[in-house]
Amino acid sequence: MSELGDLPVPEVRRHKRGRPSAVWIVPILAIVAGGGLAIRTYLRAGPTIHITFDTADGLEAGKRDVRYKNVPVGKVDSVELTDDNQHIVATVKLDRGAASLAASDSKFWVERPRVGIGGVTGLSTLISGAYIGVDVGASTDTAKEFTGLEKPPGVTRDEHGRRFQLVTSDAGSLAVRSPVYLHRQQVGSISELELAPDGHGIAIEVFIDDPYAKDVTDRTVFWNASGLDVTLDATGLRLETQSLATVVAGGIAFGLRDPAEPGALAAENTKFTLFEDRGHALARPDTEQIKVGMRFHQPLRGVGVGTVIDLEGIRIGGITEVKPGYDETKHEFFTDLVGIAYPERLGDAYKTLTAEGVKLGKTGPQMLQGLVGRGLRAQIRSGNLITGQIFIALVWEPNAPVVKVDDSDQLWAIPTEKGGTDQIQDEVASIVAKIDRIPFDAIGNDVHDTTRAATALLGHLDRDIVPDAKQLFARADAAMDALRAGLAALRDNVAMPDSALQQSARTALEQVERTAFSLRSLADYLQHHPESIVRGRAGGPAPKGTP
Amino acid sequence: MTRAVDLGVIACEGCELVMQAPRDVDGRCPRCGETVRSRNPRGASRTWALLIAAAALYVPANMLTMMHTEQFPLRRSDTILSGIEFLWSEGSWELAMLVFVASICVPLVKLLALGLLLVTSHRGSTWRPRARTKLYRVLEVIGHWSMLDVFVVTLLTAVVQLGRFASVEPGPAVLPFAGVVVLTMLASASFDPRTIWDGAA
Repeated sequence: MSELGDLPVPEVRRHKRGRPSAVWIVPILAIVAGGGLAIRTYLRAGPTIHITFDTADGLEAGKRDVRYKNVPVGKVDSVELTDDNQHIVATVKLDRGAASLAASDSKFWVERPRVGIGGVTGLSTLISGAYIGVDVGASTDTAKEFTGLEKPPGVTRDEHGRRFQLVTSDAGSLAVRSPVYLHRQQVGSISELELAPDGHGIAIEVFIDDPYAKDVTDRTVFWNASGLDVTLDATGLRLETQSLATVVAGGIAFGLRDPAEPGALAAENTKFTLFEDRGHALARPDTEQIKVGMRFHQPLRGVGVGTVIDLEGIRIGGITEVKPGYDETKHEFFTDLVGIAYPERLGDAYKTLTAEGVKLGKTGPQMLQGLVGRGLRAQIRSGNLITGQIFIALVWEPNAPVVKVDDSDQLWAIPTEKGGTDQIQDEVASIVAKIDRIPFDAIGNDVHDTTRAATALLGHLDRDIVPDAKQLFARADAAMDALRAGLAALRDNVAMPDSALQQSARTALEQVERTAFSLRSLADYLQHHPESIVRGRAGGPAPKGTP
Repeated sequence: MTRAVDLGVIACEGCELVMQAPRDVDGRCPRCGETVRSRNPRGASRTWALLIAAAALYVPANMLTMMHTEQFPLRRSDTILSGIEFLWSEGSWELAMLVFVASICVPLVKLLALGLLLVTSHRGSTWRPRARTKLYRVLEVIGHWSMLDVFVVTLLTAVVQLGRFASVEPGPAVLPFAGVVVLTMLASASFDPRTIWDGAA
């Protein structure tokens, strides 16, 4: 064992002292990187919002299933019942970048597969499962609490176009997303439909896509193009439809009353009236109205509110009220009809009449008095016998007595004349009476007698003639038999090949043939030996004739 | 018990040459050139540095998403803990335990144990040096097992790529998690277990 002093000494290394080791960079880097990651993750978490829905059908906590334009923008953190157990509240964590989706007027709904008459939506959710859809609002304020829609909104905010407000009393089969047509092409849809706040009528918001929104002007009229527009009136049956889809799903169409007057571009959210059909929409607005009254002393079956008032074939108005009454003095029932007439529908005729009235200084009722004086009367008429449509015709009855026109109560009373259906009834009654007068009994008796005579005749035939006829037939039969026997004998004698007649006939014929042959030989011989007539036959061989 | 240092000698770790050495010698072996130190003066501080770095990364490693899985029609993003929770709720509790031990416990135990060793050694504690040395050895052995999670994610990412029907993608937590494992391994490597016994003398 060697002494310690013999052992080598390590070479002393110089160290740069007093400076912190470079290894401390590692934790600094780690803290920066790790902290950065953690902070970034924390910051990426956007706002948490609560959305109330009626049902949690299809919603699942923990899924990243809040989507805007089908891009996931957040996740459903939890789904819980509200305190009153009436709704559910979905707590949604939006991504940081999607914080602006929580605008106070944003709309949320659950996208599920929906099958409606107008089409199928959300089909992809059949496979991927339901998700919460967002339509971002325009507001800059944000909110934490939202009430979700039960149905996707008809129009999302990112679509370009303009909204217009329509008011109607009857929405028919219209619904949110029902199409809006221009020239039968779909150019928009209904985005909202609800009862008007005052309860009177229905407020409809339509969304017209660009560039068709510019076709909506202040002169545009909208009408309900839903279903089949079947009109059955005095003019007959009329059927109109916008497209097959509207027959079932409903729809709105719009257009101009007069294409020559397009009008000025309508501002967004302009209010329009939604007319019940195309005819009403395109009809000229009736500015001037006259309230007319008529008293009929006859049953008015088929007359009701809406019955047409017709003058010279023009529908100038309609009945608005039917009031039955009782006349105490005459003790009879009568019916008062009140209607509105739109004299402007007479066009130039009305202008001429008013001009004349102005010239003569006469008022409207006075002018009407003039017309009544010349025989103007209201009459019930049947417009269509098959459908039984009734209308009120203003007709001229030149022989009618002059009646004073009563224009009290803002109501022009027009005298009436019995007619129309009553006339027809009378005619039918007279036909029935004529039929009634036909002597069906006498005719029946005659027929009976004739039949009896015929029967007697037949009896006579049967009794007297038929036995004779029978004998006649028997005799004829016997004669026929004799005839048949004679014919058979004849056939045996004549027609059979070995009958006697045939034999002798054949022999005779053969003899005739032979005679002919001899004659021909003789003729030939005489030709060659004409002298033999004189000298007799020479000793030569007998002449050979050709057979 | 007498240590080599107490005798004033030190052996080269490279060639076993025995040299005379004062306390806190720091030099080279004259024969093979290997560094000869009785103690690494910076060992402790390096271990501290790596340990702090590992602890810093441990936070995002557990907070962030480890793995995005898409298993049609479900899409999930799991952190380590939510993944364990999912496995547990699915009934694979043994797998859940395994992942929990390997990915949560082991790194945490390593951080705490190394911290304990460093503190006790620094204070020259005489408390059960043998047990502490054993703890250190255990740390060395189990250290790399916590890479399990990283392995699973990388393997699944490579294998499960069936487009929309099933796919796995690593999340942002993978890097810090791997960092934790590597840094704790480096930290335990740079810890000088001899310091455990310095106080015992």
